Amino acid sequence: MPKSKLMTAKEAIGKFVTDGDIVYTGYNLIPHALCHEIIRQKKKNLTVAGASVPEMDALLYITGCANRAITGYIGGVVGGTLVGELMDKGELQFEDYSNQGLTMMFLAGALGIPFIPTRAFLGTDFLTEKCINHPGGWLRDKKYQPSECPFSGEKVVLLPALNPDVSIMAAQRADEEGNVQAWGALGDAKWALWASKKNIVSVEEIVPTEVIRSDPNRTILPSFKVNAVVHEPFGAHPWPVTGYYDMDFIFREVTLDIYKNREACDSFLDEWVFGVKNRSEYIEHYVEKFGYRALRNITAQPPIQPVGTISYAYVPHIQI
Amino acid sequence: MTDKNYADDYNLAELMCIAAARALRDGENIFLGLGLPCIAGTVAKMLYLPNAQIFTEVGVFDWVPRDPELMGRAPLHIADMPLYVGSAMLGDMLDQLGSMLMGGHVDTAFLGGAQIDKFGNINTICLGDYHHPTRRLGGVGGNTEAACLAKKVIAILPHEKRRFVERVDFLTSPGYIDGPGGRRRHGLKPQGPNVLISTLGVLRYDTQDGEDGTCEMVLDATFPNVSIDTVKEMTGWDLKISPEVKEVEPPTLEEVILLRNLDPLTFHLAEGRY
Repeated sequence: MPKSKLMTAKEAIGKFVTDGDIVYTGYNLIPHALCHEIIRQKKKNLTVAGASVPEMDALLYITGCANRAITGYIGGVVGGTLVGELMDKGELQFEDYSNQGLTMMFLAGALGIPFIPTRAFLGTDFLTEKCINHPGGWLRDKKYQPSECPFSGEKVVLLPALNPDVSIMAAQRADEEGNVQAWGALGDAKWALWASKKNIVSVEEIVPTEVIRSDPNRTILPSFKVNAVVHEPFGAHPWPVTGYYDMDFIFREVTLDIYKNREACDSFLDEWVFGVKNRSEYIEHYVEKFGYRALRNITAQPPIQPVGTISYAYVPHIQI
Repeated sequence: MTDKNYADDYNLAELMCIAAARALRDGENIFLGLGLPCIAGTVAKMLYLPNAQIFTEVGVFDWVPRDPELMGRAPLHIADMPLYVGSAMLGDMLDQLGSMLMGGHVDTAFLGGAQIDKFGNINTICLGDYHHPTRRLGGVGGNTEAACLAKKVIAILPHEKRRFVERVDFLTSPGYIDGPGGRRRHGLKPQGPNVLISTLGVLRYDTQDGEDGTCEMVLDATFPNVSIDTVKEMTGWDLKISPEVKEVEPPTLEEVILLRNLDPLTFHLAEGRY
């Protein structure tokens, strides 16, 4: 029997996230439960990295858990937010790339090569002095390198490989060994997880390994790349998980101020992060506050399932 | 034209959305960006472009919208879950921004932005100096590579003097860069003809693909009740006006009803949004 990698969020974050780490934090499947645990454990000096880092990460900067971002889009920044303020004050350093840039950097990291060429960024101000040496950054000349193809002479831009120390991600399901299955469009997740030195995945369901192995095309990461599997129903709330629940628009609306107003943010953290020990307490609190009906309203239904049979059949006993 | 049943009641966001949807062409591979492009692409596919294929950068390939009754909403953003039902393929960002876009398969990228200049260069990152911005935005997402690599760009922007500037404060997404041949000099392929839908009308460029003409933005058509003078006033340089400037055809009743069924909670098309 392979070893179970099932653990609580508290154990997983405690064991695998270290102060100063570069952390990938998901794209479409956003690990709110794991993020809140990082805040509870008061991790420090993290760098978040991802094509577009989720607005959830704003909580990591505001609480001082993370002070750097490498990304194509810093979620939660729309003029006059707390995140914008931190950037102005230099308390959140940032390096601007693009979604393709980060995906390619993770791909290089996953492939174990030191850099990768792209045709994006050509003709933009990203390649100018004002971007490379901007006061909020730290990579300087290790950020981009305009170059030429050694074979054809075409202009390209070289991007450095990026290997996160640890990734946190939400997904639909996994087995206890850590084979992870996810569906829907995957953003940059697959390459970030492959590039990452350690991976923590929170899932809606733990299923027997036979279930995973009966449909292996749906697996996005095999168990040897996964360090911890955390069983957290509603682990992405208020963001969606395809097939399980939709975006909680009402919750987002009532918590919209948390990225703009320090008091609203502190009271959100007291109530929804420090006020609960884990995601199941968070959901209990949600039901107490908004009623079971609110939870039912975001539940994805009716089911939408593939039509037709997927078979992996072959001829086991070849007749010669 | 005359027998069309035009709507009497529509707002500016709806008008822009329909103008944008009509700028798309059938049979093309269309890459949708955040915001208004999501619903404009949906409407275009449903009403006029049965053979166009819709893509979003997160990994959605050839999405076919369902009946609004069943679907509930047009996608609110490029990764919204309605896009996962009825697509021909779901992959990831490397498939989309790599094989699809950089591989040269995107005909039209449909983009937003914060600022645009007379050569159609877009800025989506900040207003003011990059080091000390007056307004900092989240970043470019996939806007940069889409502008670098798509064969055509349709942009949607609010028409204001601080947004329509002679030169963008930070060039995140190349149009014709500094005029004819600008793209080629920077190692990019030709692009065009590009289109811009603003809050005042439809603008094009004096070029086919960035090699000929002046490559400058030209006012092609105004929205109903918008004067050419207003457009000039709201533009931060001496805007060129087409000698045959037209009025944009208003939305039909059918178009407006579909829009409202696709956006019942007015996430995209609220009155006063633009």
